[in-house]
Amino acid sequence: MSARIRRSWLVVPMSKAEQIVRASRSGADVIVLDLVEFVAEEDKPAARERVQAAIRTAHAGGAEVFAQVDPEMLVADLHACAWPGLTGVIVSRLESPQQVAEVNGLLAELEVRRGILHGALEIVAALETARGNHAAYDIGCASPRIRGLTLGRADLIMDLRPEPSGEIHLMPYLMQRLIGVARALGVTPIGAWWRAPARGLLAGPDDTYHAARRGRAIGFTGSLCIDVNQVEPLNRGFTPDDAEAAAANELITAYRAGVARGVALSEQGDRLVDRGAAAQSLALLDRAAACAARDREKAEMAGRQ
Amino acid sequence: MATPQVRRSGLTMPVVTRRFVDHAWRRGCDFINLDLEDSVPQHLKAHARGLIKDAIPIVRKGGAEAFTRINHDHVHADLEAIVWPGLSKVNYPKAESAEEIRLLDDVITRLERERGIRPGTVEIGANIETATGVAAAYDIASASPRVKEFGGGSGYDMSRDLGVEMFVGFEQFAYGKGELELAARALGLQVRAAPFVANTTGSVSDADRAFGEAQAARKCGFRLGGGLNPAVVEPQNRGFTPTAEEVEDARWVLERHRELAGTGDTWIVIDGRVIDRYEAARARDTLEWAALCAERDREKAVAVLRTRAAMAEPTPPTSA
Repeated sequence: MSARIRRSWLVVPMSKAEQIVRASRSGADVIVLDLVEFVAEEDKPAARERVQAAIRTAHAGGAEVFAQVDPEMLVADLHACAWPGLTGVIVSRLESPQQVAEVNGLLAELEVRRGILHGALEIVAALETARGNHAAYDIGCASPRIRGLTLGRADLIMDLRPEPSGEIHLMPYLMQRLIGVARALGVTPIGAWWRAPARGLLAGPDDTYHAARRGRAIGFTGSLCIDVNQVEPLNRGFTPDDAEAAAANELITAYRAGVARGVALSEQGDRLVDRGAAAQSLALLDRAAACAARDREKAEMAGRQ
Repeated sequence: MATPQVRRSGLTMPVVTRRFVDHAWRRGCDFINLDLEDSVPQHLKAHARGLIKDAIPIVRKGGAEAFTRINHDHVHADLEAIVWPGLSKVNYPKAESAEEIRLLDDVITRLERERGIRPGTVEIGANIETATGVAAAYDIASASPRVKEFGGGSGYDMSRDLGVEMFVGFEQFAYGKGELELAARALGLQVRAAPFVANTTGSVSDADRAFGEAQAARKCGFRLGGGLNPAVVEPQNRGFTPTAEEVEDARWVLERHRELAGTGDTWIVIDGRVIDRYEAARARDTLEWAALCAERDREKAVAVLRTRAAMAEPTPPTSA
């Protein structure tokens, strides 16, 4: 599966559309135009009006653009968002396959009406409630548009609090469950392994880097964030670093040398070298190359500004 | 969800041990769980059943709720003997299927009708203590509206069934506990869970440890306690009740959150702390819980005074 590189998903509230210019220069792989989480109820109509222009601005730095929509306000939110240039929508607090079907139908209709390639708009399912997580597999199966699953702000929405160990209660279980379900469905698990106290809105660059690095270790490929200063640490944490790439190269070299001697299983230092280890190293190098290509692409786009 | 019962502390005791039952009302418990199961020897099961009806009012004299833990394999005989006015809950051990819970519900429904108990009064505690129970968690928890709280997935039976050790320094039940808690939350039930605190001793009477665990659980948002030794009752009551500082802090959070209205901002950072709708919801929760705890403590104090007066026993100068 060669999915797009989407390490950092920077959320910009559409009530603060002025932040979009700075966001477009942040280096984010994805910019998420939010109509749900950070927009006060009374500001929503005005926020919706700003989405179409924001899509254009957000693209300037080479980011893909998603919109975050409310399953309780699908018609209004999707009409405001489904314009050419949009890659897809994150649907907050999804709880059932029926809701996915509704999103799917509305997107299909808007694609026809607005000259968007049929089936192009993607759905990321934000499973932020217990019901949503309980139904994760069925939700993920409900539309071919679903390309990602995320816990979003489940810790806040489900009121999961820090344990004495620093882990957020239940999150290690929920993360592993989500990642397992996502991989079983062949879609991308989106998130990072945040720990208390510095998480979410309060996480500094270091906390964010470690959340990304831990997150990558358990299978996440990119995470949502709210602060432009969290973008670079996410990009870095979700990209294999030079030391990892060097180790992978060495392992592959050793594996090939072994195969040339007629040996499929050997040791390199105290590491096992076999087909599985070599395949994993190749995947890591592929991922590193794809990340580098994505960074070049964004740099070119930003350079044209 | 209806107003939750306050069940911070409770003692499980063999109903055949007369002195435990007689003194239960003095312990300050929110509930007493009269046991017919593991703490009652096989040859005393029939005798034990016959004691429950009279034990219920005795253990309630201090304002505690009365529960009974029945035997997984003697459902009919046990239920006939225990569903009497004053019983709040039947704890059913080693629940493994929704059918079992539906059977309990049917029998309890009939007994409530026959014995003049308001329909729906008696809850079912579906205790998951086996891997099979974990696999059927959601079906079990949703099998009857009498199941109001759900969780668990640890303890001696679970550890024996899974073949894991009991007192280790890490969370050995992570998967099962997660499954049960997710089911409870998905169904909107009270969650019986606790944050992980390493326990390598297995002590059931360590008051400091009980307080520490209750406090950690409260800070994680959990409210349900219980134990085996009277020494842990007061620490649990204290540990699960919000402190005066927490109540004051909750009011402060709500004021700061109210000030956000109409500003266009949905959150603000004050002194390194995020104030948003989630913090506000949590603060409202804390205030509501503190009020419920205070109400429960008043009820228990009144019950104790009434009982002492009836016994013409002098009231000691202080009471827990």
